[in-house]
Amino acid sequence: MKDDAHTVLECHDVGVTYGDVVALSDVSVSFIRGRIHAVVGQNGAGKTTFARVIAGLVKPASGRVEIEGRAVPTGNVNEARRAGVELVHQSFALPPSFTVAEAMQFGATDGGVYSRKQLETRWQKHLDALDIKVSAGQRIRDLPVETQQSVEIARALVTEARLLILDEPTAVLSPEGAQKLFERVRHLKDIGVTVILILHKIREVLSVADTVTVLRGGRLVEGPIESDGIDAAKLAELIIGPATRALDEDDRAALTGAAIPVHHTQATATDAQSPVLKMNAVSTRSDPEGPPLNAIDLTIHQGEIVGVAGVEGNGQRTLVRAISALADVSSGDIQIDGKDVTTAPMKMRRLSGLRVIPFERNVEGLSLSSALWQNWSIRSLLQKSLVSAIQPTQLRRDCATALDSWDVHYDNVAQHAGSLSGGNAQKVILSREMDEGARLILAAQPTRGLDIGATAFVWDSLRRAKSRGCGILFISSDLDEIMDVCDRIVVMLSGHVAGTFEPPYDLTEIGAAMTGVGQ
Amino acid sequence: MDDTIIAILRSGTPLIYVTLAGVIAQRAGIWHLGLEGLMIIGACATILVITATGSVAIALSVAILLCVLTSILFWFVVEKLKANQIIAGLGLTGLGLGGTTFAVEAIFGSQAAVSAPFGLPRLGPWFGSFGSLSILVLLMPLFVFGMWLLLRRTRFGLRLAATGEHPFAARSVGVRTDLIRLSALMIGGVLCAIGGAELAAGSLQIFSTNMTAGRGFMAFTAVIFGAGHPIGATFAALFFAIVGALGIRAQLLFGDRVPHDLLLGLPYIATVFGIWLSAKLRGGTRAISNFGELRDS
Repeated sequence: MKDDAHTVLECHDVGVTYGDVVALSDVSVSFIRGRIHAVVGQNGAGKTTFARVIAGLVKPASGRVEIEGRAVPTGNVNEARRAGVELVHQSFALPPSFTVAEAMQFGATDGGVYSRKQLETRWQKHLDALDIKVSAGQRIRDLPVETQQSVEIARALVTEARLLILDEPTAVLSPEGAQKLFERVRHLKDIGVTVILILHKIREVLSVADTVTVLRGGRLVEGPIESDGIDAAKLAELIIGPATRALDEDDRAALTGAAIPVHHTQATATDAQSPVLKMNAVSTRSDPEGPPLNAIDLTIHQGEIVGVAGVEGNGQRTLVRAISALADVSSGDIQIDGKDVTTAPMKMRRLSGLRVIPFERNVEGLSLSSALWQNWSIRSLLQKSLVSAIQPTQLRRDCATALDSWDVHYDNVAQHAGSLSGGNAQKVILSREMDEGARLILAAQPTRGLDIGATAFVWDSLRRAKSRGCGILFISSDLDEIMDVCDRIVVMLSGHVAGTFEPPYDLTEIGAAMTGVGQ
Repeated sequence: MDDTIIAILRSGTPLIYVTLAGVIAQRAGIWHLGLEGLMIIGACATILVITATGSVAIALSVAILLCVLTSILFWFVVEKLKANQIIAGLGLTGLGLGGTTFAVEAIFGSQAAVSAPFGLPRLGPWFGSFGSLSILVLLMPLFVFGMWLLLRRTRFGLRLAATGEHPFAARSVGVRTDLIRLSALMIGGVLCAIGGAELAAGSLQIFSTNMTAGRGFMAFTAVIFGAGHPIGATFAALFFAIVGALGIRAQLLFGDRVPHDLLLGLPYIATVFGIWLSAKLRGGTRAISNFGELRDS
């Protein structure tokens, strides 16, 4: 038993199950007050669930949570907040139409009728005290993500928070933004707030955290360990565990963020071949779904993987929508495999060899309530005419063959796509979109939310497609991944290309381009 | 001129009360298509209880109680049984329209209308030609202001807006979104009862079956038209009332020279036009999906 006076949080045998899935099992861990604790693990390790249990958002099936030596009723946000626990979510939880001041007030615990001016004055003071440079009257939706995150942190500190949990705070930040965040976290530690950082990059863990705790498959592997006493290689081993497949040294580094990866494979592209994608000064009309493109020039050759880096929300989605006929192109032209498709509908583009692995696997990629064979056969059906006859038996058979060859784990092709795990669902999309007819593949965040095995599988598939001569546009918010996989990197900032980089990559230069420094 | 203003206030006041009920539900994330049903329950209960007991106070209390209870039922079906809001709302409207017709027939036989000996208290001669309006007309601006204050200037209002716009954010700070929706619907129930009472007993003192004649749906339209903002929606409701009153004036003026049906349809044509205009000004479908868009500054 540790000294209670120094323990801020203690979990005993916490277990959480979602339906049949065990998210956490028998996690017992305790954290010392006044330090920065990192909790690491791969996707699906149970990090977010762990954070939500402590914050009272998820009620564990078993176990106890003690804060500062006092048992707190689980599954109750108000009790957790009263005990001083605040959680900042990975995807922020602030209503976009609120002003900053309203977002603060809505999380506060006092105050009756207010005037707008009173509210803004009150919370401006709070923001200034935390050195967050934002006006209290601005709307959440008008703020860049880094500021939104700062506001969310300020929101978490409106009450006397003694334990602040940040869930994957660096996932939406540029490298420079992450450094600023870590400074802020150190400042919070100085004023006596205990911080738990949920992270997945070892580099970041070692640079900011005092201790590190490793979760894998919902279980506590080890921790808290003093971060002075552990090196990147050992930590990577704890996170990955006995890997199911042998990983290349660089891939391993990229997966765990242990070291900055060095891209060493050569592009097989030659300029003599006609490019599979050529965009000349493409601009799009503004629409509510994201910033418009602003004179984008982009060329992808056969056998080349081009990475798009950038802080999320800088036009990456619009780029994908413009190439796949979903955004209005106002000027410029788009060619796929030498054919002008600027005004062509999606069907023509797909016939030209365009394939899309979309951002939202479960919304845009698959119809979760439809059968696997229906999801799979939509590619061939979309390329036929509307009145062509369909032979379901044949499609089911072809689907089974394709899914087997892509190593998808499923019971039968009639089961709903929603019953597959994230990795398997993504493999269904890959088997559909990376067929022999593919010339240009848009891979939008293809590894988001996948565990290490599935991520490595996606990378392998992309590399195989590249060696077949496909051109690939690879969009990710994880720079390590982009630097490991891509032959060339373009950085997007507010809808235009802010820089193009060739290997060997320089993280600092790419990071600077992402935030627009030095322009 | 006074006649026209009186006609506008007479038809606009019940509509505005019901619109406020729609606004608070919309902000809490509920598309309230049961307004029509609640309104007619309020109207029917008021007249029947005045007839039975001779007390306006008891009649209003019973109307409010019934509408609040029905609203709780609606909440239970939508929130706890996870039924589709639109279907449940239409069901509630059906329950109101059918239930009141059934009640009137059960008590008075096949009679389609019931008149009470008297209605709500009137403003009286002190107000000159406006004296025939009920006191609920005078109280209406207070309710509008009160609703604005509640929704836009209190923490409850912020939590209610968050519940509608980003329920996860609301739950993250410990808001019980189910209870917020319950309170929004209960407040809405009170307002619908008042709106119904004003309709049946404000200037008339009669209940006839199906007398709401789509006013609940018109109120719902005003909510969308006014982008979910209490003041905006009130003006939208007032706009419908003005168009309606002008339609009646036009009938008197043009007589047989213009088809009668066209003039009767005028408010509805204006509604369609108004919604088109508001969507155009605020940018297409966003006006409807982001109802929190119109903000007072």
